[in-house]
Amino acid sequence: MDVDVAAEVLARLRGVLRESAVEEHDWDAVVAETPIESLGFDSLTILDVLYDVEEEFGIALDPKQVVKTRTIGEIIALLEENTS
Amino acid sequence: MAEQSPRRVAVTGLGVACAIGTDIESFRTSLFAGRGGIARLRSLDTSEMKVGIGGEVDPDFVPAGLKRLRRRPADRAVDLGLVTAAEALEDAGLIDGAPPYEAQPVAVILGTAVGAAESNTTLQQRFAERGVRGLRPTSVPRVMDNAISGGISIHFRLTGANFVVISACTSATNAMGTAYRMVRHGYADTVLTGGADGFFDPFYYGVWNNLGVMSKNPDPARACRPFDADRDGCVLGEGAGMLVFESWDRARGRGAPVRGEIVGYGESSDASHITSPSAEGQAAAMRAALASAGIQPADLGAVNAHGTATLANDVCESGSICTVLGGAAERAPVSANKSYFGHTLGASGAIEAIASLLGIERGLLPPNLNLENPDPECRVRLVGGDPEPLERPFVMKNSFGFGGSNGVLVLGPGE
Repeated sequence: MDVDVAAEVLARLRGVLRESAVEEHDWDAVVAETPIESLGFDSLTILDVLYDVEEEFGIALDPKQVVKTRTIGEIIALLEENTS
Repeated sequence: MAEQSPRRVAVTGLGVACAIGTDIESFRTSLFAGRGGIARLRSLDTSEMKVGIGGEVDPDFVPAGLKRLRRRPADRAVDLGLVTAAEALEDAGLIDGAPPYEAQPVAVILGTAVGAAESNTTLQQRFAERGVRGLRPTSVPRVMDNAISGGISIHFRLTGANFVVISACTSATNAMGTAYRMVRHGYADTVLTGGADGFFDPFYYGVWNNLGVMSKNPDPARACRPFDADRDGCVLGEGAGMLVFESWDRARGRGAPVRGEIVGYGESSDASHITSPSAEGQAAAMRAALASAGIQPADLGAVNAHGTATLANDVCESGSICTVLGGAAERAPVSANKSYFGHTLGASGAIEAIASLLGIERGLLPPNLNLENPDPECRVRLVGGDPEPLERPFVMKNSFGFGGSNGVLVLGPGE
């Protein structure tokens, strides 16, 4: 994924995370290295992220793969894998 | 702990949000200044509805409160409850500011009439548009009726029991009665109780419109007229009222200011009609409350009525008050706080109990708004357009709900 595309995906993903979140955070400060757990998501609320990712990107991710991700960058990598 | 001698139940924390105030101070100021908050609804398009007025909470209150609690918006009723709970818990000295919080053994027993109304309506719309695919994975925890008590318990880390009591307009009073008994009989030392409802959305406000019990008065400020001969129905309001109940000894032991006492509680069912009230049922709950408090009607300084301003309620309720109080009714003026902020349904008992406690604290009864022409069929003594002194410090708070559920609290002074 080139730099511009990665930045755009991150920006859209921030919007998805914000929509699904219970806790409020500085979403602009979310970067690839941000741990998912630090944003308050757990095994239930991450399912909403999956749902909103599908709505936003039109890509269905495998829940088993998503629950293994630890950082935002790993979700972006999954998105990349599933688009290519 | 349980089954010990009955304990006194102190109120050590208060929090409120309704059309006339978003904290205890602003609520008290509006109440004693006789300043109502009913207006045309701003948050909802009512152009196709018969009625378009209500008591809305200041639109900045929930966003500012959620920001302080570091939460995203979840649901109007849940958010109103959460932010108001923070005020009550802080007032009681149980939390200090923003999260993280230490876990503590406090129960959360709350009333709500319609629960997570906004979330329900949103999901129904999505389901209608897209079928099952429109339903988010977390739809169940978003729409469940105990989202309010569960959310508060989790956010503030309160580890006692948590559940909601649902009995329409009696919900908060039934919840507070349950909380009172839990503390009184040793099943809990501290309970966060009260109620929350937020239903200004097209579906819930729509169904109330079509029930035909809401005032069609074109002047919002004059629309809610409890016990007035020219009343023509209730006005809805959103809001939350939260109270911390605590065993008297524990409150004193930790040096918490005691803002009032829950002296007694009674309940009953009409067992007659789903929406029409019964004077016998109401009277039974009032008698049970007085018996529980161990006081006589002559000890009451005032009655804080259910007073919805519907044609049916006010005549029925004044009759049942006269039946129970007898000659003492003349010395216990009746207040109807819904004239200020509307009928907040499952939160009403809590918000109005807070109004009573503030009145007891001050020795003063707030005026009744819009009581220009008292209904001669309502033979109780009504507080007029000016505040009146509260001669004796015990106040009876009535709540009556669809389904025939009646709940009555007796409130007394703190320190």
